[in-house]
Amino acid sequence: MTNATETQTQTSTQLPAVATGVAQPLTDSSPSTSLNNDRSSREMSKAEQKADPSSSSPTAPKPQREMTKAERRELQEKQRAEKAALKGQPVTISIPSNQQPSATASAAGPSTENNASGSAAKTKQQKEMTKAERRELQERQRAAKAAAKTQPGPSGAAQSQTAAPRNVPPSPSPAVQQHPRSGAGGTHRKLEAARPDGLGGADARGLRIFSHFGTPKPPPTTKGDIHPAIVRLGLQFAEFKITGANARCIATLMAFKTVIQDYVTPPNNTLSRHLMTHLSPQISHLVAARPMSVTMGNAIRQLKLEISGSDIDLPEQDAKNALCQKIDNYVRERIIFADQVIQETAGSKIKDGDVILTYARSSVVEKVLLRAWEDGKQFSVIVADSRPMLEGKKLLRVLSKVGIPCTYLLLPAIGSVITEASMVIVGAHAIHANGAVFSRAGTALVAMMAKQHSVPVMVCCETYKFAESVQLDSFIKNELAPAGDIFDAFPRSRGQEKLQTTGGPNLALLNPLYDLTPASRITAVVTEVGVIPPSSISSIPLALGRTTI
Amino acid sequence: MSNHQSVPETSASNDSSFDIDATYQAILANEDISTPLAAILALTELIQQSSAGTMFELVKALNDGAKVLRERTPNPIGLNAGCELFIAFVTLFPHDSDSFSNLKTELVKQGRAYAREAQEYREKIANLALGFIKDGSVILTHSYSRVVMRALLRAHERKRISVYVTEARPRGLGLRTYEELTKAGIPCTVVLDSAVSYVMDQVDFVLVGSEAVVESGGLINAVGSNQIAIIAKAANIPFYALAESYKFHRLFPLSQYDLPTHTPKILSFPSAVTPDAKGPGQNSADQDAEKITIPKHTRTMTTEQIACNPNVDYTRPDLISLVFSDVGSLTPDGVSQYLVGMFAG
Repeated sequence: MTNATETQTQTSTQLPAVATGVAQPLTDSSPSTSLNNDRSSREMSKAEQKADPSSSSPTAPKPQREMTKAERRELQEKQRAEKAALKGQPVTISIPSNQQPSATASAAGPSTENNASGSAAKTKQQKEMTKAERRELQERQRAAKAAAKTQPGPSGAAQSQTAAPRNVPPSPSPAVQQHPRSGAGGTHRKLEAARPDGLGGADARGLRIFSHFGTPKPPPTTKGDIHPAIVRLGLQFAEFKITGANARCIATLMAFKTVIQDYVTPPNNTLSRHLMTHLSPQISHLVAARPMSVTMGNAIRQLKLEISGSDIDLPEQDAKNALCQKIDNYVRERIIFADQVIQETAGSKIKDGDVILTYARSSVVEKVLLRAWEDGKQFSVIVADSRPMLEGKKLLRVLSKVGIPCTYLLLPAIGSVITEASMVIVGAHAIHANGAVFSRAGTALVAMMAKQHSVPVMVCCETYKFAESVQLDSFIKNELAPAGDIFDAFPRSRGQEKLQTTGGPNLALLNPLYDLTPASRITAVVTEVGVIPPSSISSIPLALGRTTI
Repeated sequence: MSNHQSVPETSASNDSSFDIDATYQAILANEDISTPLAAILALTELIQQSSAGTMFELVKALNDGAKVLRERTPNPIGLNAGCELFIAFVTLFPHDSDSFSNLKTELVKQGRAYAREAQEYREKIANLALGFIKDGSVILTHSYSRVVMRALLRAHERKRISVYVTEARPRGLGLRTYEELTKAGIPCTVVLDSAVSYVMDQVDFVLVGSEAVVESGGLINAVGSNQIAIIAKAANIPFYALAESYKFHRLFPLSQYDLPTHTPKILSFPSAVTPDAKGPGQNSADQDAEKITIPKHTRTMTTEQIACNPNVDYTRPDLISLVFSDVGSLTPDGVSQYLVGMFAG
């Protein structure tokens, strides 16, 4: 667009030839061709530079080129007129200029230059014509699509993006950069007009970022035979009645125990093979209610391993009991006992007089703090919290009930209290192989702030939360909270209608639930195998003799 | 780096006639043995004298002995490293032998063999570090460390090196390094602790010993090492630590004040502000009688003032380039992975 305006000003002001002192041969005085003078003189100089090293007589090729140049100029004028007539828009005049030098640049010598420019002119003419026609077609198609479509937003963006590639193949690249831009602008304007006004931006398809997560959907209607325990669990997940990595994992495993006990192997099938297929739709139902947490994923993977390894010869009830026993063992060892070890280890790091800053609510951190208080350590706690979930209130209630002196504040205020804190203890949803911690949105801010003020950051995390993938940022994998007032409203002193919980026609709400804290911001990770630096997470499975977590 | 404080030799151990602390101190009298090794040898002696009948009793006796030793020293870090290593070794030792006394004999034998082998670790580390020392290197070191001495003397056999050593107040052990290096013919200059940043740009790399290398990959060494590491990092000079593998310790300090050696007295303010009558302290008995003139009109800290200061400090892993050890040259991350592999199983 900018190029077009520049060339416009050039033509209007009729600047003299800009080329380097080769303007004499060009004596055309028609105002519309002054621009041509510029270009032609530039080409002339370029051609001259090329001609000199080529050691052919500089005088001989010039008349030929001049002649063809005059012809070319005529052609270009014709084309421009046609274009202007077709489009009625400021024509992107620089296109031929870009094309010509490239065409001439590719030529080897003066004679081939002529041929190249001549043929380029001819093909250009054709392309111009067809390009104009094609553009017309595209505009019409886009308008038709916009009218047919009722969805706003990214579909328009998608359209403009797809419009760009459509433009790219037929024409050379420097030219085309302007078309999609103008095309996109035009398309957007058209779409804005076409969109019905009644549509709100409340659904996440209006989001520009995080749109790859899709919308948080309402709990799905049950299809097929989903066990009622799973149905109930799905509802609890979807309405955020059960939150937290540990809680969700334990609830899932308990529900699966019920499913397994109620399961009957169909005839001509074995439990170890069929139970898996029986469980799959149950798992999908849970995933549809709310995306699976890393803990659930690890637990289910372990469960599937146990199922496939179960003895074929066992009678069915025994096999089912064995599986339930294994599930109980898993919960007990990897979660309950692990938490106890973490309580002791992290508790030993807490000294009298410490001021501990924690964020939101982690079940492990709650246990650590309660245990340290029971052991008689005198410390105080700062609970930082944030909307929409306001989980810190639950933690605050539990801690103050046993008498721990607590301070409660919202996340934006931690800058004022970070200098008072002697230690930061947070929980985790998962920890990745590169040591990055995936936790409640806001944890990364707390960790970075702490690091800035040299406050040590301790993450309490069981080993079963280890995700073997590497994650580098919070965008690639995250979860959006659904719009609406499903969490406790804050503050109660104001009316709930004052709270912004849903979007509007020009407002889309974005509530990512998790974020990623890089390993460099974390001082130590407390696991049940000890206190380790985050970079050593990946050596734990090896050390424990396991192939997976 | 081991403390030679004389401890009253009272019998305060579980076994009737075996005084672990006396044994420990006697072993430590040997200059070549560092605290973790001395602890391992003392515990080996404990097993020898022990009348325990089961593995459980034996481990309990070992833990009690370690506790006694810990209470008697103000700087238990190296001691803890050695004790933990040995107790873990004993616990994981396959006890499939029929008689328990055979097992005990075996353990004692293994303990002594390990200590013998560990005497060679310093040589191994010196050879490893040799590859990193170029001809004509200027090296900065801190205080006195036996393994660094061995490495420097080894390098001096083949290459030309010159050494700056810090004074390392208040004990002034850097002067001991100076004496030994000069005797060996290595050009050496003592540098004030406060002049480290002044000299840093002249230095090719920094080489220090260690009391312990901790789980985070950080270093615990005589006070002043952290400062040198920070200055080296700011000047882009490599900082190498030499540590035998028995000094790797499963401690994880979150900060300087999370060390077991940090007492409330350190860095405390005096309770009542009384005018200090002492004024400039005399050149106290801490400094040996040197033939060289001691400058007049200088002041030194009093013993009470020194008592408010730490003996060791903690250097963070991101300031350390490499740790040279008998198991190889490790990055600070690698130290943690080694420790996790050793102890987590």
